[in-house]
Amino acid sequence: MSFENPNLSRSAHVAALNKRFKNTDTVDMLREIMADPGFGKLALVSSFGADSVVLLDMVANINRALPIIFIDTEMLFHQTLTYQRKLAKDLGLQDMRRILPAREAVLERDFDNLMHRSDTAACCALRKTEPLARALAEFGGWISGRKRYQGGARAAMELFELDAEQRIKINPLAHWSREDLAAYITAHGLPRHPLVTKGYKSIGCASCTTPSGTVENERAGRWRGQNKTECGIHIGEAARSVIVTDEGFTDEDWADGFHSFDTMPTQESPALAIDLQSDFSAEDLLPWIAKIDLIRVDFPVFSDGRGFSLACQLRLLGFVGRLRAKGHIVADQYAMARRSGFDEIEIDHALARRQPERVWQTCANWRARDYQNLLRQSA
Amino acid sequence: MYNYTAFDKDFVTTRAEQFRDQVQRRIDGSLTEDEFRPQRLMNGLYLLLHAYMLRVAIPYGTLNSRQMRALADIADRWDKGYAHFSTRQNVQFHWPKLQDVPDILKALAAVDMHAIQTSGACIRSVTADHFAGATADELADPRPTAELVRQWSTDHPEFAFLPRKFKVAVTGSLHDRAVTKFHDIGLRLVQNANGAPGYEVSVGGGLGRTPMIGQVLRDFLYQADLLPYLEAILQVYNQIGRRDNKYKARIKITLHEHGLEDIRQRVEANFALQRGRFNGADQDILTRIEADFRPPAFKSASIHHFEAQRAQDPFFKAFTNTNLHPHKNPDYAIVTVSLKAHGATPGDAGSAQMRALADIAARWSHNELRVSHEQNIVLPHVHKADLPEVYESLRLAGLATANIGLISDLIACPGMDYCDLATARSTNVAQGIAQKFDALKREHIIGPLKLKISGCINACGHHHVGHIGILGLEKGGIESYQITLGGDGTENAAIGKRIGPGFSADEIVPAIERLIRAYLAHRQTADEAFLTTYRRLGPAPFKAAVYPEKEPKNEL
Repeated sequence: MSFENPNLSRSAHVAALNKRFKNTDTVDMLREIMADPGFGKLALVSSFGADSVVLLDMVANINRALPIIFIDTEMLFHQTLTYQRKLAKDLGLQDMRRILPAREAVLERDFDNLMHRSDTAACCALRKTEPLARALAEFGGWISGRKRYQGGARAAMELFELDAEQRIKINPLAHWSREDLAAYITAHGLPRHPLVTKGYKSIGCASCTTPSGTVENERAGRWRGQNKTECGIHIGEAARSVIVTDEGFTDEDWADGFHSFDTMPTQESPALAIDLQSDFSAEDLLPWIAKIDLIRVDFPVFSDGRGFSLACQLRLLGFVGRLRAKGHIVADQYAMARRSGFDEIEIDHALARRQPERVWQTCANWRARDYQNLLRQSA
Repeated sequence: MYNYTAFDKDFVTTRAEQFRDQVQRRIDGSLTEDEFRPQRLMNGLYLLLHAYMLRVAIPYGTLNSRQMRALADIADRWDKGYAHFSTRQNVQFHWPKLQDVPDILKALAAVDMHAIQTSGACIRSVTADHFAGATADELADPRPTAELVRQWSTDHPEFAFLPRKFKVAVTGSLHDRAVTKFHDIGLRLVQNANGAPGYEVSVGGGLGRTPMIGQVLRDFLYQADLLPYLEAILQVYNQIGRRDNKYKARIKITLHEHGLEDIRQRVEANFALQRGRFNGADQDILTRIEADFRPPAFKSASIHHFEAQRAQDPFFKAFTNTNLHPHKNPDYAIVTVSLKAHGATPGDAGSAQMRALADIAARWSHNELRVSHEQNIVLPHVHKADLPEVYESLRLAGLATANIGLISDLIACPGMDYCDLATARSTNVAQGIAQKFDALKREHIIGPLKLKISGCINACGHHHVGHIGILGLEKGGIESYQITLGGDGTENAAIGKRIGPGFSADEIVPAIERLIRAYLAHRQTADEAFLTTYRRLGPAPFKAAVYPEKEPKNEL
């Protein structure tokens, strides 16, 4: 009599977009997206770094009036600032927004401009993450120039993602290789960042960037010597998620990124994690099942119970690694998730605020009163 | 009857407390209404037209006198002094307040009852033959299997958020009174050529807006394989059942779209994996459950008094002609108590009547009662010598209506009086028909006839399986009632066919009367039941009677 009404959630929307544009030419995709009012107001966020010119050129050819956000941390190379002014002029960018850190916050937290030596994370937060968050507040989605080949958490990046504020984040160059970028720049006769010829492959603040060696990862020159690969503006959902276990809330401890089934690496990987949609057919994973360390199953909406059966099937097929449910799962489903074979649940901050740790803890005793276990006596 | 273990008691008691916490979290806002809805539905709580409705499970329709008294107490304390016995062997309270529901669940738990999985997109409360363990035509008692399925499906972690609701029915008799062919899964207790006990498993039956007859997925499944096989069916359905359209989400549509053979292959492959999860513990539990369902100690006494009373009292005789069913012990009878007094709302019982039934069962039916899907109450084990006293007690409680199986023993959904989905009233039509034929004093002459009325296309009144079905719709702002003929929910399953345009609320009762007159005119003998005559002649003579002056118009 009474019916469920599972509205298409934002994550389901993102999944649909990824499917839809999987094989679309990058420029065609940008043209379609920039014309689609469904995304709300869009902006391009650019560092005006080593390869930024590619995306800037594409966007400018479609619509020069698109807002371009450039975060000036006040710690950048002077070459970057010069290059930014030149490109803005050459490409005819009509809505160039240079964003600075908040004056009072800098005076209060980093008056001697040396915070980067003691606490890079806090420095990035002050000079990049917080200013960008303010700049993006008026937008429904944003475009970023990250590439999968840059490695780390970027290796498993999708064309479309959700950021921590549930905004759609578009990565049109996700699947581009370094050679693709070089070919585009040559073919279109575009100017390069002056530091590229000096061995800089990824360019951030002068204080924390060094050249990368020829065999190194492209971003190895960033925060050299530290276990840090991202400034923070691209650590969306993942790092800001809360992981729920029998012990309560913990932070994300998986730092090696997630692949989709379609972008699984062909060679052996020391730490392999994959994301599965809830409609995935478990048998398709059989050839890899022993090589995967972590499987994360998406729950686009809590009333979609397919993920529980997918977890059970993965266990029946012999998966012994970490199994995580991610997305819209409520505390009352914790026991179901654990009994179906999940080890942990990943929820976003908004949900964690609404259903705090103590609520999940009342559901933590998932072994109690289990009819199915009684009938199987498998304890 | 099944005796709750300490595990069962702890489960229902704790569940009631969990729901109290969920209600609290809904009130303080940490659960959204969207998130709360499935929690309350899985605890039987609906939001209907006027108020909340609490649907309490009576698994496979079996309850004892103490439980019936508790239901009467709930009706008095938290509702309006009555309850509605439903077509799914459940009982519904139509006026509880949200804040009282945790207390009601607690009161239920105290007598080993609950409202778990009586709604929501989960495996619903399991149903079975309401004459189980008593009827003369039984091969095996379906209740132990039904109880096993109840335990297995309770709080099953994988299947609380299915594409849609999922209903399982069990029968162990040659005559299918559990309507198994119209359930998502129908189980029939059978034996193989070697006499080993097992099940015939049907899937994909259902009523609603797309009625379908279930198809046999396995003609024989060993008893010990039941749970892994059910796991396999449900796991396949949970993963491939449609979630994009709620009207195409039942397994009947999955079966229809993928085909029986495809589903069978998927289920068998899955079953091979699932078997390893069970090591026989479930069969030990089944053995314990079976012991609980051993027949009561039947007494030996003369039935002379019964025969004498029948000869002497024509009302008692009429009651025993219609309301008794043969018991496996020939000195006993199964008594069906009609909740269809002419002019009353089908399935409703007042708290005084419920207490009277509890007392009668305690004294004369080994403490046992059943709820039938035809919205009546059954006293399964009454010695014939006690029947005159049982009849007299029922009569004093206003429960001796002698109409079981007749036209006024009809099924009707609550319709627009309560339900927010309904598009037409149904109880007024039910009352109109019952009163009309009572006034004509012809229903005993008409004989066995199943008439079923639904107030909307969702078919809660099961009109598709009525010998005569009535579907109330709304056309251009006015109620329109369509007639279907030839439906049958038994082992000879058939879906009724519409015979023509609908009738207004004023016209429908006279149309049914014309239909019945045609049947009386065309039947070969007084023993030829309506359905038999219909099957012999087809719809033509009935159409001619229902639409006398003009040719049937184009369908609306």
